[in-house]
Amino acid sequence: MRDSSVLITISDVIEYLFCPRFIYFIYCLDIPQHEEKRFKVLKGRDVHEIRRLTNTSYLRKKLGCISKERNVFVASKENHIKGIVDEVLFLEDGTAAPLEYKFAEYKDKVYMTYKYQLYLQALMISENYDVEVNRAYICYTRSNNMVKSIKIEPEDVDEAIKIAKKTIDIIEKGVYPKATKYKSKCIDCCYRNICV
Amino acid sequence: MLAWVVYDISDNTCRKHVSDACKNYGLYRVQKSVFLGELNSNERDSLAIECEEEIDEDVDSVYIFPMDDQSFKKVKLLGQAFDKDLVSDEVLTTFF
Repeated sequence: MRDSSVLITISDVIEYLFCPRFIYFIYCLDIPQHEEKRFKVLKGRDVHEIRRLTNTSYLRKKLGCISKERNVFVASKENHIKGIVDEVLFLEDGTAAPLEYKFAEYKDKVYMTYKYQLYLQALMISENYDVEVNRAYICYTRSNNMVKSIKIEPEDVDEAIKIAKKTIDIIEKGVYPKATKYKSKCIDCCYRNICV
Repeated sequence: MLAWVVYDISDNTCRKHVSDACKNYGLYRVQKSVFLGELNSNERDSLAIECEEEIDEDVDSVYIFPMDDQSFKKVKLLGQAFDKDLVSDEVLTTFF
């Protein structure tokens, strides 16, 4: 990748996927989204904190987990991405897998934003630990801690890298991007009053 | 979508917190323990979690009923009624 001083987080890529204009408003216009004022965001942070403090040595044997690391900072210098993985699971078959806790209900499908988050985490775990990552897990804390497994193919990771590059492009070039085509997302968007 | 929030909460402090939460979401008080106003699905979910945190689920109750426009038009009001136009955001401020 070209030389760039921009370093984005996995959350930035999720926001790009929600709507590319989020990146423009946050980084180019410096208008914060004040997500900390949203009750569900705060509650989700509490859930992460509780997870961090309790059941520290619990291993998910059903998933074939033999050891784990929690709140792991990962980064990819080449792709200019950084982030924190809730748990990195090391599995019996010698591979590793990210596990992400979500303060959300499972609604019959894993959303695209969650998938891309896990693809990028998988990429960075693979790079940082030099281990194969071919699946990821997501735990829905509002659906009785239901765990869903996601298969990770190399083309999924490539696609996620492309999205990360597009995110960096907006920050570097400051081009006002097209809004998401899904208008239902605009209903609850914090930038709806200034987005034209 | 319009939503009704109806509650029966015994503890004064909890009840106050729930009514404050309803007001924070921009709902109109139509009776002492009844609020009504426009909430999108995320706001409905968020308000429900806030109320769930506050109440004692063994004794209290909070109901959140979504209501479509068609049904709202059929609502009958008797006695000291609330302003339907105001609640459904049909009253717009005019600047001269």
